[in-house]
Amino acid sequence: MNIFWQELRFNRRTTIIWMVAFAFGIFSYMSLYTAFSHDVSQSMKLLQGFPPVVRAVLGIRIESFFTVLGFFGYMLTYLWLIGSIQAMNLGTGILSKEISGKTADFLLSKPISRFKVLTSKLAAALVIIIATNIVFVTASYFSAEVFKTKDFDVTVFALTCLTMLFIQLFFLSLGFLISVLVPKIKSVLAYSLPIVFGFFIIGMLDSVIGAENARYLTPFKYFDVGYIALHSAYEWRFLLTEALVVIVCVVVTYIIFTRRDIQAPV
Amino acid sequence: MNIIFREIRAHYKGLIGWSAGMLFLVIAGMAKFSAIASGGQQAIQLFKTFPKPVLVIAGINGLDVGTAIGYFGVLYLYILLLATIHAAMIGAEIISKEERDRTSEFLYPKPISRSKIVTEKLIAAIINIIILNLITTVSSILAVSFYAKNFSNNNMILTLMIGLFIMQILFFALGSVLAGVFKNPKLPTVVATAILLVTYIIWVIVDLNSKLDFLKYVTPFKYFDASVIINDGHLDPLYIALSSVIIVIFITTTYIFFNRRDLKV
Repeated sequence: MNIFWQELRFNRRTTIIWMVAFAFGIFSYMSLYTAFSHDVSQSMKLLQGFPPVVRAVLGIRIESFFTVLGFFGYMLTYLWLIGSIQAMNLGTGILSKEISGKTADFLLSKPISRFKVLTSKLAAALVIIIATNIVFVTASYFSAEVFKTKDFDVTVFALTCLTMLFIQLFFLSLGFLISVLVPKIKSVLAYSLPIVFGFFIIGMLDSVIGAENARYLTPFKYFDVGYIALHSAYEWRFLLTEALVVIVCVVVTYIIFTRRDIQAPV
Repeated sequence: MNIIFREIRAHYKGLIGWSAGMLFLVIAGMAKFSAIASGGQQAIQLFKTFPKPVLVIAGINGLDVGTAIGYFGVLYLYILLLATIHAAMIGAEIISKEERDRTSEFLYPKPISRSKIVTEKLIAAIINIIILNLITTVSSILAVSFYAKNFSNNNMILTLMIGLFIMQILFFALGSVLAGVFKNPKLPTVVATAILLVTYIIWVIVDLNSKLDFLKYVTPFKYFDASVIINDGHLDPLYIALSSVIIVIFITTTYIFFNRRDLKV
C-alpha cells in the first residue's frame, strides 16, 4: 500500500490542476449556451426544410442538434483530446520516472515483488483517472443544469460524459505499454503529445480507407455522440475493441516489467 | 559548430517523426476535401446558416470550405498546432536537456562561453524548425494541387506558411525563455505546451464571444488567423511587428537568465 499512497501523493498537485482546468473549461464553455440557443432558430427552420436523407448523410438529428446535450457534444472531442494527454502522461510517467529519476534500484530492491510494485502503481493511476472523471462528470452535469433551456435525458448525458473515462483508460494503458517498451524515457511529453495527436489525426483517414474501418483505428472515433443520443447505448463492437486494447496493453506491461533487466544507474 | 552538429544528430529521429506526422496530416486532410467538394454543396449551404459557435468549434468560422483554399484554411489550424507544439518542445528541451540528463557538468566546463553554447543550440533548433516548415510548405502545395484541380493560388499557401513560420519561431522562443528562467529542467516543456494549449483555447473563446475581443492580443493564434489572412490576402503587419518584438524579448531574456544561472549538476 505504501507505493500506492506515495504515487497518489506524488501526483496530487498535477491532478488537482487537471481537475480545476476541466471544471473551469467546461463551465465557461457551457455558459455560452444561453446566447447560442437564441441564435439557432433560423438554422432550425432551414434544417427542417432539408429532406431526411440529406440530414442523415450530414449526421444531423433535429431533436438533439441544438439542445444543451448537442452543444456539449461539440466540445467533447476537444475535452477527449485534453483528457487523453492527462491519461497518457500519467500512464507513461508512473513507471518510467523511476528509471529516469534513477530511483529504480532503490524501489526494486525493497522486499516487494515487481508484480506488486506494478499493481500498486496501476491502481494509483486508475484512482487518479476515476477521481478526475468524477470531477469531470460533476462539472458537466452542474453546468448543463445551470444553463439548460429545456430538460435533457440524464441517461444519455451520463453515457456521453462517461466516454471520457473509456478514452482515458485507452491512453492510460497505452502509456503503461510505451513506458516498458521504450528503454529510457527522458521526457514524458515527448511521447505522450505526438502519440495522442497521432491518434487524433488518424481519425481523418476515414475518407481514404472508409469511415467504418477507420473508426477501429482510433479511440477518438469509438464513441459517436449522435449514436449515444439516439440509442442511449454505446456501440458494442467498439467497446469490445477498446477492452481488447486495454487488456493486451496491461498484460504485456506485466509480462515485460516483471522480466525486464533494469540496471542500476551508474 | 560542434554543438550544432551534435544537436542536429540528436534530433534527427524526432524530426523524421514530426515530418511524417505532418505529411500524413496534410495528405489525409486534403484527401477529405475531394469528398466534400464533389458531393457536399448542400452541406456547405447549410454550414453558412449555422450559428457562430458551431462554426467556431468546427474551425470553419469565416472560411468557405467549398473552395480549396478555404478548406485548406481549416486544415491550417491543425498544421499550426502540430508545428507549434514541435517548436515549443524543441525550444524548451534543447536548452534544458543537459540539466535533465545530468550532462551539464560535462558540457559547460568546456572552453566555450555559455552564450556560444546557447547560440549554437538555438541555431540547431531553428534548423529543425525550418526543415519542418519546408516539408509542410512543399507537401501542402503538392497535396492541394493534387486534390483540387485548377488550383492556382499557391501564393496564398506561401503566405500562410510564412505565418506558420513566425508562429513556430514565436513558440520556440517561448520554450527557450522558459528553459532559461526555470531551474527545474522538466518544467519548461510542460509549461510551454500548457501555455500553447491555453492560448489556443483563448483563440476559440475570443471567436465565440465578441465581448472578449480585447484578448486577441494575448493569443498568437489570432495573429495568424487563417480566415483573416485568406480574406485580406496578406499577413497583418501589426501582428508581424508584435510577434517580432515578443521573439526578440524572449530570446534576449533567455541569454540574460541562462548566463547568470547557477546550473544544476
